[in-house]
Amino acid sequence: MRSLKLAVNGTPVVREVADNRLLVDFLREDLKLTGTKESCGVGVCGACTVLLDGNPISSCLALAVHADGGQVTTIEGVAEGDRLHPLQEAFLAHGGFQCGICTPGQILAAKALLEANPHPTRAEIQYWMMGNLCRCTGYYKIIESIAAAAGAK
Amino acid sequence: MAAASRTGTAVGRPVKRVDGVAKVTGRARYSGDFDVPGAVVGRCLRSPHPSARIVSIDTRQAKALPGVRAVLTGADVPDVRYGRLCRDYPVLAQGVVRFVGEKVAAVAADSVDIAEAALELIEVEYEALPAVLGAEDAMRPTAPVLHPEKVEIGPGAVAGHHAELRMYPPIPNVISQLTLGHGDVAGALAGAHRVFKHSFTVPSVHQGYIEPHTCVVSVGADGIVDIWAANKGPHIARAHMAVAIGVPENRLRFNPVYIGGDFGGKGSLMDTILCYYLALAARRPVKMVMTSFEELTAGNPRHSASITLRTGLDRDAKIVGIDARIVFNAGAYAAFIPGPTLHGYSELAGTYRVPNCTIEVLRVYTNTVPRGHMRSPGSPQVTFAVESHIDMIAHELRLDPLEFRRRNAIVEGDLTPLGDRRRHMRCRETIDAGARAFGWDKPKALGVGRGVSIYEHPSGSSGRSTVLLTMGKDSRITILLGAPDQGTGFHTMAAQLVAEHFGLSMTEVEVAQGDTLSTDFESGAGGQRLTMTAGQAIADAAGKMKEALTALAAERLNCAPSDVGMGAGGSFSAFGTTVDLKSLVGWAASRGKAPFSAKGQNTATQPDVTGFVAHFAEVEVDRETGQVRLRRMVTAHDIGTVINPILHQGQIEGGLVQALGQAMSEQIVLKEGAVITAHLGDYKLPTIMDIPELETVLLPGGVGPAPFETAAIGEMSNVAVPAAITNAVFDAVGVRLVELPVSAEKVLEGMSEKAHAA
Repeated sequence: MRSLKLAVNGTPVVREVADNRLLVDFLREDLKLTGTKESCGVGVCGACTVLLDGNPISSCLALAVHADGGQVTTIEGVAEGDRLHPLQEAFLAHGGFQCGICTPGQILAAKALLEANPHPTRAEIQYWMMGNLCRCTGYYKIIESIAAAAGAK
Repeated sequence: MAAASRTGTAVGRPVKRVDGVAKVTGRARYSGDFDVPGAVVGRCLRSPHPSARIVSIDTRQAKALPGVRAVLTGADVPDVRYGRLCRDYPVLAQGVVRFVGEKVAAVAADSVDIAEAALELIEVEYEALPAVLGAEDAMRPTAPVLHPEKVEIGPGAVAGHHAELRMYPPIPNVISQLTLGHGDVAGALAGAHRVFKHSFTVPSVHQGYIEPHTCVVSVGADGIVDIWAANKGPHIARAHMAVAIGVPENRLRFNPVYIGGDFGGKGSLMDTILCYYLALAARRPVKMVMTSFEELTAGNPRHSASITLRTGLDRDAKIVGIDARIVFNAGAYAAFIPGPTLHGYSELAGTYRVPNCTIEVLRVYTNTVPRGHMRSPGSPQVTFAVESHIDMIAHELRLDPLEFRRRNAIVEGDLTPLGDRRRHMRCRETIDAGARAFGWDKPKALGVGRGVSIYEHPSGSSGRSTVLLTMGKDSRITILLGAPDQGTGFHTMAAQLVAEHFGLSMTEVEVAQGDTLSTDFESGAGGQRLTMTAGQAIADAAGKMKEALTALAAERLNCAPSDVGMGAGGSFSAFGTTVDLKSLVGWAASRGKAPFSAKGQNTATQPDVTGFVAHFAEVEVDRETGQVRLRRMVTAHDIGTVINPILHQGQIEGGLVQALGQAMSEQIVLKEGAVITAHLGDYKLPTIMDIPELETVLLPGGVGPAPFETAAIGEMSNVAVPAAITNAVFDAVGVRLVELPVSAEKVLEGMSEKAHAA
């Protein structure tokens, strides 16, 4: 067990966690932040993507202790109160999701993209988003959504 | 995208999803997201053998591990067999295992780590038995028989017309043998100018939903069993569960959940019944989440198939008859599908005028992972065969593949190959619209190939829906539905339909999904039926509600109901006096006559309206490596009224890319009976990098079997895609792939064989 200090969606968190506790389990089970999803468990599908100090990581591969001292952003922390982030608005307006299970990961990955590159080309969007699988949309509307959000920023 | 058809106050508009904000903020709760107090974790021990007798199981050490709440083996649960039609699936293996991945024992424990440690402490002794892995091998007289005991069959094992169905005929391991015929095929082929015969193989693919099967079961002190399960048809699931566990349906509450992708794969109970017995034994709620490894190795993927087609042509290259044999490998259990076999046969060559046709469909047990339903079950397999076969015939006759298809295209008034009559045959129009957009006749560069593939599918299928509309005091309408929205946007479309019936805005309509105790029977999604059956039920309820409102308006306006007319925006008038909906309902509420409800129901049979799709693909093949790059596609759809263009286009794009996976990268690979593509690094779902440039063509002016002339789209986009791509590969380099998926190795090998032959 270790003592873990971090900020999750801007809120300070201090917890005791087991050394082998995965970040995804820490978020979902210990903090009840179930917006983060787990699917493949091997870092391929991107469903569990969260931001650690602004960078997208697979929370199914990261240990909770890895986030010690860091800033974690999950989907619950993307909107400001009731005001949706431009990416969330764009995914809604452009049909960037259907079942919604991959959407938290898609939006967090896209958020990191737009922070690093506010006006990505279509090719840059595709290259960045390669690690986030979606089985519903066929991706076209995800590209549209991200491009629209970039235009709106 | 060419826009099509009518737009109303709500129907036809690109409104945002009613579940959208919940999904983009992480508030939407899927089965695994419910925090059920006291819940522990359930996990399974699975068979490493494709076929074996269980000699003994020792669970003593596992039971002694601290934190373990229950350990179950086949001896600890009732020996019931359940299934959606064929009841052959045990809760846990009963003395034998029939595939690698079959559940042999289960543990409920305080954590995943403890549960996994306990599984490792269970000792199972097996005696390996001969296994049979291929469907043709399984039908040989000497083949080991998987299910020698009689399998109970639930209601629904009926053949359509022109068909004969034999369940468990006297052929080893055959679950069902369906023979269908129309006309005189033997005579037609004997008299044909040319007869062509080709065979095809389609391996299994996984539905690829990102949310694995998940269930939580909690047995309450009041006798109510609460279930949160990723299941697309909770009412049907409840009925099957009630039969299997002997608890009345009115004590099983399937709670509303979001579903993280279905694509046909989430219609079975999967682990729900085992989870129930674990919850009983542990005396606590139990949550079971399949790992991705379990999903890929022991889920219920698409049936693999082998298909042989014989087609006769006359001197004008017109089809005189088709004889087809389809063999579906069902794996070790038949339980996962609701019918005797897969419906893909019913659309075989449905795009063509075929005066004589016979089809034999065999569904066969093998010692491999049980197969289930996936988006238009059976059709991608059958259509890959038919559309490759048609292309091969065209090339052998030195005819343009598009022209050969047009020449044989079915037209209004023709019977389908199986002798059915369908309305609205726009096959040639669909082909032509796609070909124009694609530039079929335009010159192309060396190494570039173009292919076409077409498909026909009736718009919807049979099913039953019930909805409850409640008019609140503020004249807002709430729709209570018994079916989940697995991602299609069904809940949003239901709201649009209600808004349209009353001329309301989307903000005045609210959707609620009820649990199985608070809603009436609802078939749920499947066979492209839900928007149609629920749409009819909504129309039924809306009609009743309008009648009630008309009666209220008559009372308010002091006239007879027959004098009242309903105008736009839900206003009512008689003799020049108008009362709007809001004040009418407000007036009714003040007299205690609102809120009020209206229930709508619909039982649909298979509609006779059909739809067509034509896909065009352009590929570039690297002659050094065999690598195939999909450059662009055009997808042309014959459609009805579009309820929501965002959702409609989402079905087209999503289905098409799903099929690209089946065409280019996905395959459940088996080795000695075990699935070895066991994680998403090895099982290759398409990524955002793999999609081609895409143009969609929608044919305006379509009709549909549902209110406002709406028609189905969900299974139109994925079925015919693979053959368009393999036909393009042939066009590019002359290599014919008769087995999916396309791979550089296969193409390179084909080119090398051609070079040696030349």
